[in-house]
Amino acid sequence: MAAFSTAGESVNSYFNIDDILASQEKIPCSFNVDVAAMGYLDQSTTNVDISVGTKLELPFWLARYLYRGTRSIVSLETPKSYREGYRHILKADPNVVDLHRLGPFFYLFGGKLISFQLPDADDIASILLKTFQGRFRRIMDGSQNALHTDLTGQVSMLDEQERQLFAAGQQGLHDFQKWENRESEKLSTSVMIANHRKRKRIGVSTQPS
Amino acid sequence: MDTSEVEFLAEREHVKIIPNFTQDKIFLISGDIGPFSAGLPVSIPLWLAVNLKQRQKCRFLPPDWMDIEILKAKKQEEADSRFFTEMSSPFYMEITQLLLQWGTDDIPKADEIRTLVKDIWDLRIAKLRSSIDVFVKSEASHAKLNYLTLMEINTVRLFLTKALNHMHQLRLMTSGRSQTQQSQNF
Repeated sequence: MAAFSTAGESVNSYFNIDDILASQEKIPCSFNVDVAAMGYLDQSTTNVDISVGTKLELPFWLARYLYRGTRSIVSLETPKSYREGYRHILKADPNVVDLHRLGPFFYLFGGKLISFQLPDADDIASILLKTFQGRFRRIMDGSQNALHTDLTGQVSMLDEQERQLFAAGQQGLHDFQKWENRESEKLSTSVMIANHRKRKRIGVSTQPS
Repeated sequence: MDTSEVEFLAEREHVKIIPNFTQDKIFLISGDIGPFSAGLPVSIPLWLAVNLKQRQKCRFLPPDWMDIEILKAKKQEEADSRFFTEMSSPFYMEITQLLLQWGTDDIPKADEIRTLVKDIWDLRIAKLRSSIDVFVKSEASHAKLNYLTLMEINTVRLFLTKALNHMHQLRLMTSGRSQTQQSQNF
């Protein structure tokens, strides 16, 4: 059932679209070596090369490979929304923070950052868990209670993964509500069949008569 | 799992009816049903009871627990207890729903019963939700809830499994950072 289908969507799954999107989030980096002919990455200069000490925001997938090994090409900084200041805010009250603004993939990207072995990786890891635990009740109550109200305000504060959770909660509520109003016993055409018929008709009309 | 599937399971529960026809035993894979004799109460599966009622071949007899006083006491007990109390039927919600949908005329004070059962349901769901919250906050790896019915589990199943999965991933980051490092080295 649901447990089995979600088990496949693990964080590092190659085909997980959220995982791919999360790897586009930017990380502040500074270069430790000169890089030839890459100056176009830095919008602020007209130099052909990147010189030592240049600070750039690189996406995670690029930074991941530049940071590897003993003599890294770049050195990394913790992105702003995971730094101490934000961690304090999240610790104080996770419910008021707009996680979607901090990064639509706050948890996923946070998890990726941790793999870099940054000095504050442990703090980040614990704050991710604490944040989710703190926000959990609100997501659950919001998704399970409101049936016919406008939830945009509440949903807009949620991180992408939290939104999926919210949708799951809503689905449970809707299913039950439908059953209670005796709507689930009515049989309806499945979407697949409905689409299939449509496609067939197109095929028929294009056939030479 | 679908709510209609839960209802399907609930339809195997036996209820009492008074038939207005006479017939010998019916032999079915799930067991023999009957014999029916007009005017004498007989216990049959819910699905058959609903079917007979739809064809106006019987009257429902409400189950013992479907009584205003008993339900009121149950509601009080549920409200007083910190934990879930044992329900008289594991499918109380489904049976109430089906009996009241088709047999409103057979069951005295149907509206009050419906309200009471719904109240008990709401109490239990609220309790379920707060225990889930406590569970998530406590970082425990397992929890045990007694006397939770299938329909109640079903309303939170998708949400809960997703949430726990998410938590598990977050916890993996905390505990097994070296593992994530390894898996990215391909």
